[in-house]
Amino acid sequence: MSDLYGAVIAEHFRRPRNRGTLESPDATHEEVNPLCGDRIRIELKLEGDRVVAARFRGDACMVAVASASLLTGMVVGLSREDAFRFPEERLLAALETTLRPARVQCAQLPLQVMRAALSDAPAR
Amino acid sequence: MEDVFSQLEALGQSERRVAMATLVGTKGTTPKKEGAKMWVGEGGRVLGSVTIGGCVDARVIEDSASVLRSGAPQLLKMALGDEDAWEMGLSCGGTIEVLLEPLELAGDAPVLGSYRRIATEVDAGREACLVRLLREPGRALLVLADGKSEGSLGNAALDAAARQQALPLIARGTSRTERIAVADAASRAEGAESPEAFFEVHAPRAHLVLVGAGVVAMALSELARTVGFRVTVVDPRPKFASRERFPHANELRVGIPSEILENLTLVPSTAVVLTIHDYKVEVPVLRAVLSSRAGYVGMLGNRNRGRAVLDMLRQEGVPSEQLERVHVPIGLDIGAQTAAEIATSVLAEMIAVRCGKSGASLRASPPGTGAQKEPRSG
Repeated sequence: MSDLYGAVIAEHFRRPRNRGTLESPDATHEEVNPLCGDRIRIELKLEGDRVVAARFRGDACMVAVASASLLTGMVVGLSREDAFRFPEERLLAALETTLRPARVQCAQLPLQVMRAALSDAPAR
Repeated sequence: MEDVFSQLEALGQSERRVAMATLVGTKGTTPKKEGAKMWVGEGGRVLGSVTIGGCVDARVIEDSASVLRSGAPQLLKMALGDEDAWEMGLSCGGTIEVLLEPLELAGDAPVLGSYRRIATEVDAGREACLVRLLREPGRALLVLADGKSEGSLGNAALDAAARQQALPLIARGTSRTERIAVADAASRAEGAESPEAFFEVHAPRAHLVLVGAGVVAMALSELARTVGFRVTVVDPRPKFASRERFPHANELRVGIPSEILENLTLVPSTAVVLTIHDYKVEVPVLRAVLSSRAGYVGMLGNRNRGRAVLDMLRQEGVPSEQLERVHVPIGLDIGAQTAAEIATSVLAEMIAVRCGKSGASLRASPPGTGAQKEPRSG
């Protein structure tokens, strides 16, 4: 597995971090890739303007799961604005592997879902 | 036994009282199993049957009139077939016992109340067992799948013993007549008997959960509905799990498949079939399903692919005995090529597993196995 996608993706797929749900999340969104069927939901807890907790659930490919696992760890402590503007390049770099173009979409899905969740959440 | 409830409601529209005939005992080869029911109205209307429809049913219909007149239950014991039938080799050859009892369909008759209560449990995905003494069928003890009970057979010792005996029958999904073994020595000393009782097990309707909304699922959904399954289709993609593709499925669930399966009630009458052909759904769904009581779990895929998916779960610590439950490759070996043929082979395997059969040809089976039976109701 790690030969194909690298050790980071393999590790985060086997032992994903932050998988689960939050009690009364302040922001939540779920999306599916209509072709491949990757489906991810991200839930965030906000205190004031800060992201204090993030969780994900989904049945998705290794790349998407690893991406969600990493992203939900990296956004905790960020302001809502910074989380919304989280750079895609930083997320791709955290995967520590070069993805072919078709698989970049898989890595992008959690980020799109998180941005939608923050957009939908009422302003505080 | 879904028909019991819908039949009771249907009968209640036009009948005030019926004679309820329940097959409570069989020996040898018989066309139906314990629990089969037949209803005879005061006007002679008949619903259901306790045999294939000849011999015994006719006697039951005849005796129903006297049961309705007297208001007293009767236990009929009959041998199937007569000399002529035996000579021609047409007889079933067994003996049966049928409990005939009058049943008021209006108001709050206790037995009716028990069936309403059973319907509530079954609709919620839970089994239940109605225990009634053959000599006094008006008394009923309803044993639930969690071991609790409602009603009484007349004394606490009988109730406790009946509860103990009901639970393994519920687990096996088997109805039968048994002598209630009163364990309490004090009660035995006081003369408490060990009466015969009919343990009538009711289970949720056969339910097929299809994970993946592709062409094989479309064909299997239609076939399974024809055979009497309730069908739920699960897929993460709304365009796939659509009414256009699954016009007759009972339920379409679009979402995260493993999360949906975690929240379904999976009991022995549930079959889960994964047709999605994608590890990213198969692994989390199987993780959710294999620790459940689902009676059948299968996935599309060849042996190598199946082994790879199961190995992923094994590495996570899923026990081997759970992994061995997965039917992969799925279906009976009939040379299926098309989606409809594959669906047929899968459905046949599902039915065979439910009935504890191998799925081999009846012609090749040893004599005495697999008498051709009338379609089971419910």
